[in-house]
Amino acid sequence: MSGVVIYLPQGTAGAAGEPHGDAVTLRLGPGEVARFGRGSATCPVELRLDDEAISRLAGEIRVTDDHWQLSNLSTTQSYLVENPEGAGEYLRVPPRRAGAPIPFEFSRVVLPTRRNTTVAFQVFAPDHVYLDPDGMGDQWGSRTVTAYSLDETALYFLVLVALCEPRLRDESPVAVSTTPEIVERLRSHPACGQLTARAVSSHIDYLADEKMRISAPAEHGPRREARRNGKRETIVGLVLRFGLVREEHLALLPPRSGTGTQERGPVR
Amino acid sequence: MADPYGDAAGGPEEEAVRGTAGTSGDDGTELLPRGYRIGGWEVTEPIGAGGWATVYAGRSAGDGAGREAEPEPDGRGGGTPEPDGRGGGTPEPDGRGAVALKVLPTAGLAPRQARKAAETARREVEFGRRSSHPRLIRLLESVILGEPDLPFLDGAVVLVMERAERSLRDLLGAGVTEAEGARLLTEICEGLAHLHRSGWVHGDLKPDNILLMADGSVKLSDFGLATELTGTRGTHGYAPPMGTFDYLPPERWKAPLGEQGVEVRPSADIWALGIMIHEVFAAGAPPFPGATPMARAAATQEYAEGRAPLRLDSAVPRFWRALAADCLAPTHAARAVHTAESLLARIAGRQAAGADRTEERTEAKSAETESTDAESTDAVPAVETAAGDPATPRRRPRRGPRQGLRRGRTRAALAAVAVCAVGAAVWPYAVGGGGSGKPGTSGTSASTGAAAAEGTGRLRVFNAEQSCRSRTDRDPQCSLGLAIDPRRPYTIDNVVPTRVWHGDELTVDCLLPQGIPIIDEADALSAAWYRVRLPRGSARSAAWLPAVRTKDRPRVPECPPSDPA
Repeated sequence: MSGVVIYLPQGTAGAAGEPHGDAVTLRLGPGEVARFGRGSATCPVELRLDDEAISRLAGEIRVTDDHWQLSNLSTTQSYLVENPEGAGEYLRVPPRRAGAPIPFEFSRVVLPTRRNTTVAFQVFAPDHVYLDPDGMGDQWGSRTVTAYSLDETALYFLVLVALCEPRLRDESPVAVSTTPEIVERLRSHPACGQLTARAVSSHIDYLADEKMRISAPAEHGPRREARRNGKRETIVGLVLRFGLVREEHLALLPPRSGTGTQERGPVR
Repeated sequence: MADPYGDAAGGPEEEAVRGTAGTSGDDGTELLPRGYRIGGWEVTEPIGAGGWATVYAGRSAGDGAGREAEPEPDGRGGGTPEPDGRGGGTPEPDGRGAVALKVLPTAGLAPRQARKAAETARREVEFGRRSSHPRLIRLLESVILGEPDLPFLDGAVVLVMERAERSLRDLLGAGVTEAEGARLLTEICEGLAHLHRSGWVHGDLKPDNILLMADGSVKLSDFGLATELTGTRGTHGYAPPMGTFDYLPPERWKAPLGEQGVEVRPSADIWALGIMIHEVFAAGAPPFPGATPMARAAATQEYAEGRAPLRLDSAVPRFWRALAADCLAPTHAARAVHTAESLLARIAGRQAAGADRTEERTEAKSAETESTDAESTDAVPAVETAAGDPATPRRRPRRGPRQGLRRGRTRAALAAVAVCAVGAAVWPYAVGGGGSGKPGTSGTSASTGAAAAEGTGRLRVFNAEQSCRSRTDRDPQCSLGLAIDPRRPYTIDNVVPTRVWHGDELTVDCLLPQGIPIIDEADALSAAWYRVRLPRGSARSAAWLPAVRTKDRPRVPECPPSDPA
């Protein structure tokens, strides 16, 4: 259990076009708490949301087990917690609700403002545990399990499968898909119509940094693109080696157009 | 019988595998018929099944082919026994040629399972070939099945192993006597010491993988994640990113995944040993609180990051509690000094010193690391027992929205733990300092049981100055005094040289309800005083702590009317 990551995008809380500070990333370990709100000298908060409609102490995030809880400390406002990957899944956390458990691995916490806008930040909970397909049953607690569990219904997993596809299909022993290739490959998938290159890169970073904590081979110099490629190759090598992505997952990808490549199912 | 063969065992599948020969279990695994020949062995009955493997009871085939089955070089066709480390002679006292046959299919399953099985088999075989020890389950041979007509068996690896009677897991719920627990743990430690000495890490140590033979002796098993130490100085190895939540050391949750897997070191096994020591004496209860493995993993992390103390069940005898606390040192560095070898030496030393000391049992009241065992205190951050006085404010609920509100992201809790650590290092003598002068304590423990007795006679110093509570440096300005005579004015000439700090844990003899009233910095007033022990070597054996200097209310008898220390 490594906790959660809170991400407040740059300028999100900016009032009336006023430029506000850089993006904020907070990491909380199990049992740790971050308060959010407008804040003040007497009421410090870890996550400052600078909007007059937001209470000085608007709420609190507490890491619990493998998930987190949201306390709404406002007396009047409800907050929404959206699952950006769900088909419109969201939770409404009413005023004064203490410790509402949040079940999403990805969440967008949305606070209303007086204008027609909202203030939002994201919370990632990469510790969510998924049982191995062969590790089911009521004794799972004392079973040996894969310590890096991936949500096979998440968008990041789709990106990962696309990343691994050339190797899974034995098309190339070394090739790893590029970001534009992945965007193109997933375009016809119902969940990926809006997928941008930037989103793909974020998913890959999330996988490498938060889910699998990949120790990338040391690279020197500012060759950002090369480094990215190194990271991708490392990810692909690892997930294939440890069986986190397998042949049967190719079925998750949309059918390939025009290449005539045979889909190879699992050996049976 | 519950199956002792680790992960392949137990669970709901056990019912499924009792079907007839060749049928398919609920999980789709097919079963070997009774009498099926594997090398020189024949299957008698299934013991258990899991995702990776199915384990059968087996015996030496009657026709004498037995262990002398002829090796076939290509590894196919009826089985290829590989001679490896069987020292001759029947390993089982409980029946001639009784073995366990662990079948790991490598074909006919999803490729991932096949890969896992192959990797598991490879590690087990490699390990089994190179090591043999009375405390390790012996791999008698490995056989590769050649059954072209039975795809689910073709290419399966069968590990032929000594047959055990049950696992430590089977024993835990029932409870174990102290003597029995000590023997089991000693033998586990022997196996572990051998393993580490030969340059291997087990990697998945847990009660399910500790097997008990028919004669009761202990053997470690399941070397599917066993890793040979490499690195320039043989300090670590790499294993697949797998494990069992409740037995993973805290650093594993942060360990990066490299191309060879995750780094494992012997200290990971030591951590698992610490968990098992606790489980053995606490009727299977893990030391970290939580209803699910995830909750316990989170609690482990909180402890490792210094936000929560280690609370070991008072049912764990003192010596073993100290040992467990050392095994559960929060970092690899702090744990590394406690090698299996050194732990074994401590166990042996204790046995040599007279294992029949009955005080071990009767002195359940002492919550602390043992005074005679100086090395055990160095790396232990803060050991509290779960059975402390329920009124102790430190035993606040772990979770709850209000708590963090106050604490926020300050490091106060961490600092408090650090203070406790210093306290533990300075005060080891406060516990075991002689048997005299403890009126009533033994009576209390006898009448109310270990749990109540645990709270008796211990308290923690509380400093009303908030700023001092967060300090770890034992600054003189934050020190508190102890009186020589609680009935005389509390002045500079009425204090002992020994100072105490917030968080220090003291041994209490008795309570004086009416001494000189003391008002603390937060205006709390009390005329009560506790007589507390001073470290050995002090001019006096005891001194008096004003009751306002602690939030604890240890249940101790009243002091005799005129008995200043």
